[in-house]
Amino acid sequence: MKEVFSYVKPYKWTALIAFSLMLLELFVELAQPLIMAKIIDDGVRAQNQGIIWQWGMVLLALSFVAFIAGVVNSYFSSHTAQSFSYDLRNALFEKIQFFTLATYQKFSTASLITRLTNDVTQVQTVLFMSLRIMLRAPLAVIGSIIMAFVVNAKLALFLVIGAPIIFIFLIVMVAKGVSYFGRVQKRVDRLNRVLQENLQAIRLVKAYLRGAYEASRFDEVASRLKIDTVKALRTMEYIMPVLLFIMNMSLLAVLWFGTKQIDSGTTPLGDVVAIVNYAMRMTGSFSMFAFIIIFYARAKASAERMAEVLSTENEIELPSSSENASTGLNNGELAFEHVSFTYPGGDSPVLSDVSFRVKSGEKLAIMGATGAGKSTLLQLIPRFYDVTEGKIVVEGKDVQQWDLQELRETIAYVPQQSLLFTGSIADNVRWGDAEAEMEAVLHATMQAQIHASVEDFPNGYETRVGQKGVNLSGGQKQRLSIARALLRKGHILMLDDSTSALDVKTEQALWEALNEEQATMLVVTQKIRTAKGAQRILLIDGGKVVAYGTHEELLQTSALYKKIAISQQEVEE
Amino acid sequence: MGFFQKPFGYEPILTKDDVKQTVKKKKGPRATNWKSTLIRLWKIVDEQRALLLIVLVLVLVSSMLALLGPYVIGKMIDMYVTHGELAGLEKGIMLLIGIYALLAISLFLQNFWMIGIAQQTIYRLRTSVFAHFQRLPIAFFDRRQHGELMSRMTNDIEAVSSTLNSSFIQVFSSVLTLTGTVIIMLSLSPLLTVLTMTIIPIMFWAMRWITRRTAPLFKEQQAAIGALNGMIEETISGQRIVKAFSQEERMKEEFREKSVRLKNTGFWAQTYSGYIPKVMNFLNNMSFTIVAGIGGVLALYGHVSIGVIVIFTEYARQFTRPLNDLANQFNTVLSAIAGAERVFALLDELPEEEATSAQKHKLLGQVSFQHVYFKYEQKEEAYTLKDIHFNVEPGQTVALVGATGAGKTTILQLIARFYEVSKGEVLFDGVNVQQIERQALRSQMAFVLQDPFLFEATVRENIRYGRLDASDEEIEEAAKRANAHDFIMSLKDGYDTVLAADGSGISQGQKQLLSIARALIADPKVLLLDEATSSIDTVTELAIQEALDLLMQGRTSFVIAHRLNTVHNADMVLVLHKGELVEAGSQQELMESGGIYAQMLQSSSHHLEE
Repeated sequence: MKEVFSYVKPYKWTALIAFSLMLLELFVELAQPLIMAKIIDDGVRAQNQGIIWQWGMVLLALSFVAFIAGVVNSYFSSHTAQSFSYDLRNALFEKIQFFTLATYQKFSTASLITRLTNDVTQVQTVLFMSLRIMLRAPLAVIGSIIMAFVVNAKLALFLVIGAPIIFIFLIVMVAKGVSYFGRVQKRVDRLNRVLQENLQAIRLVKAYLRGAYEASRFDEVASRLKIDTVKALRTMEYIMPVLLFIMNMSLLAVLWFGTKQIDSGTTPLGDVVAIVNYAMRMTGSFSMFAFIIIFYARAKASAERMAEVLSTENEIELPSSSENASTGLNNGELAFEHVSFTYPGGDSPVLSDVSFRVKSGEKLAIMGATGAGKSTLLQLIPRFYDVTEGKIVVEGKDVQQWDLQELRETIAYVPQQSLLFTGSIADNVRWGDAEAEMEAVLHATMQAQIHASVEDFPNGYETRVGQKGVNLSGGQKQRLSIARALLRKGHILMLDDSTSALDVKTEQALWEALNEEQATMLVVTQKIRTAKGAQRILLIDGGKVVAYGTHEELLQTSALYKKIAISQQEVEE
Repeated sequence: MGFFQKPFGYEPILTKDDVKQTVKKKKGPRATNWKSTLIRLWKIVDEQRALLLIVLVLVLVSSMLALLGPYVIGKMIDMYVTHGELAGLEKGIMLLIGIYALLAISLFLQNFWMIGIAQQTIYRLRTSVFAHFQRLPIAFFDRRQHGELMSRMTNDIEAVSSTLNSSFIQVFSSVLTLTGTVIIMLSLSPLLTVLTMTIIPIMFWAMRWITRRTAPLFKEQQAAIGALNGMIEETISGQRIVKAFSQEERMKEEFREKSVRLKNTGFWAQTYSGYIPKVMNFLNNMSFTIVAGIGGVLALYGHVSIGVIVIFTEYARQFTRPLNDLANQFNTVLSAIAGAERVFALLDELPEEEATSAQKHKLLGQVSFQHVYFKYEQKEEAYTLKDIHFNVEPGQTVALVGATGAGKTTILQLIARFYEVSKGEVLFDGVNVQQIERQALRSQMAFVLQDPFLFEATVRENIRYGRLDASDEEIEEAAKRANAHDFIMSLKDGYDTVLAADGSGISQGQKQLLSIARALIADPKVLLLDEATSSIDTVTELAIQEALDLLMQGRTSFVIAHRLNTVHNADMVLVLHKGELVEAGSQQELMESGGIYAQMLQSSSHHLEE
């Protein structure tokens, strides 16, 4: 909670100004009954018209002051609240960017989305309302009490009789509120999740006619959200009636004792009237009060969720862990030394004792059965996950010694599933290098054999590709993915089964173009024909290296390899 | 909104001039829009009419009681307090206790039930939108960002929710209080009442000035939130790529830009709407001043009693407060309307049409394309598919072959009627697909997609998605035939293992095995396989091939595959090139004719990756 509100610090001056202006408005409001009393006692009763006009003018002047103060306050409150939430959002987003992949799983995507938008809005609303008017209510209450004491201490006492009860009551209510609203936000997470899944898989849902099924799934989640929201809000509804009742009772007490005192002549009428006035003012503030409590509880629940994100320490990627600059080898050498890896939370190792080495500019083909661990192997290199045992050496240095950013800039990665982002084709390719000139972009797309297709599109490179790059064929997406990686000009190029959707001719042309590349290449593939073009082949089965060598060597030494080759008709039986 | 969004990374930062522009542009026709939105919203609330009426009655009661309180006090001050008479006071106090107790109860109940009504409305809104989503054509989803759509379901509806929770009652009670107060004020002193009312015209003018600015700003704000949401969803889902390409900084920058847009819009929206209570307060103070000053003078000359002045000031405040509240509510309502509009926009999207003559049709398995032309977007010039014409008999296996982008996947999508043809017809057993009920059609098909999307559920449930009433044995059977059983058993909880949301934990190939199991269990008449086996190693693939062969018997199958084997076993091969069907026939015929297909086969020696 503190962590979140620390983001207000940079704006403490504007907040202070807004706050003081609000106090000014409050002052005017509190002064009114006093002036009223004056008008009645010194003016009306004393039959002094001049006094009436005099104090009337004062009231008017004060109104103007309050108005100006109010308008300016609005400006400053907005500024504070909006800047605060802007900073908060950015901080959250930044933090999330540096999460490790494992941490993403801890907080689901949907939950992160909720925290970045919905939760921020809750807190922002509270901040704004606090500076604008919310604090007025409690301050009005306190101010009224003080003024009441100033006017007549004995009577004023009755106003505060109920205070301790109220206090305890409120604390209990807030605690309840926080817990209930926290639960509500979790329900929003679930809602988001079902929504997101449906949006991503809409074709699947339609193909399998699961529309009704999905709708009932959603219905359940929405229903739970409704129930929990109702529960939270209804619980908070007790606040106002209770406060009001207690307050009104105090008012009656004032009336009673006040009358007694007027009777005995110890208190002037004006005093009683003033205090009654203050009392009614206080009750007037109570609905706002209840409102505040509710908002506060909501904000606290949201703040806690955000603090969870902001305070994740261990599971983020440390940007830099070493003092040495890069070794200057710049040659794309890579070596795995007895690497074993188990996914966090997993039982059995996905990779066991994997060792191999790739020299500068060489091509290594990685083959193996489904689930053998090939993609995982690639993902360890840019440190998406860290090895459980052993080490990976890039250009002579352990990857864990590299500056993470520099390490990843050395690597160009084409994942198995082509993922493109909303934007133009040129934008997507420029993910490889944001500063690249159009020439470089064209060169990359030509190498990736996609340039001709892009030219065929009506808008060429400015053609927009929607989320996930729909309306491009699988092969086109793959080639764009490759172009993106090529533009990066990394020292190590990793292709994870990235040519599966390409036809023979295109693929051949691609490999030819890639041969010109000086980068070290790691190619995960199913096709022996592709593997043949590599200097060495790594065959993995069950997470272990079962064969490692050239194509010819493997044909001799590995039964498994031979079997695959035969099935692909690469070799006669 | 739509396909052609602003270019990546360019979002204007709103300055005060931009705000002026926004306001100028949107002044005119907006007025009618919000009325209709309000009416639509009302219709949903109205579903709970009975409860609503009870709440309104309670509001009436509580408002009356709230008015009564000060009135009674005022009277009591005049009659008893001034003279220090305790006896009479006691009676008055009893009365007041009663009033206050009733007030507390009715306040509580009215809000208690209103919350129920409000949340039920929200729930209805949400589920309606979701149900509507299921009826929308795929083309709709192609054009939108997921996160932006999600924002409408959460953030925009949230705006409506907070309004419904409180505004409705507030408005009603404010109106009641206002009316009651004016009546009492008139009964106390018509002169003072008129004086107090002088502030009203000023108030209206001020409101108009402010809301003219805030209405379009609220709309902008919701849109900005939507855009932000869209970006967040996309980048979080695509984290792997972001990291691989070290795009974190760039993402931060972009996020910042979108965030700035929200900040600026929000700033002006909040500032302007913040003016309302200030104006109201000022008018409040003015009226107090008027009553105090002039009232005091009148009291001096005996025209008005002191008690009346005291009460009157109280009522004057009670008069301006509901006005104040109404004005505030107006702004909240505007924000809710902005949100509701965006939600209704979704409900207004045209669903996939079903011709009235459409019927359930039991598929025999014959499929034909009659001179079909297709393009994804009407506005595009070039056709993705041109003059596709072929005929497939029931039970035949058809292999689709061609370079990437040639149109193979598109044809499958048309068979499943994910999109409508632009020209020509798709026929099933001679019946135009548009005459067949979509449900009926798809329930007899199984579609294995290029992206084997799996849900965050257990393996068992994912497979069961193919046929919801499948038994556990049938699921295992299907998994065995898809060769997925072994790897499933090697997972932590076997069939009960929950798959991760982003699909990590099992490999791409394993996902495809699961999606094949899913298709197997659906027991379809027509099978559509889209490059399903390319991420699986050839050893495993052979085993699956056997299972698929078995499955394909007796069913019409369309396969896009890259393995020679698949094409070998096909009854017909369709060769596509740049959206046109260049060759069609059996493997044999094509080899003999020496056309493109034959050439492709030759150039690749033993492997046809087509």
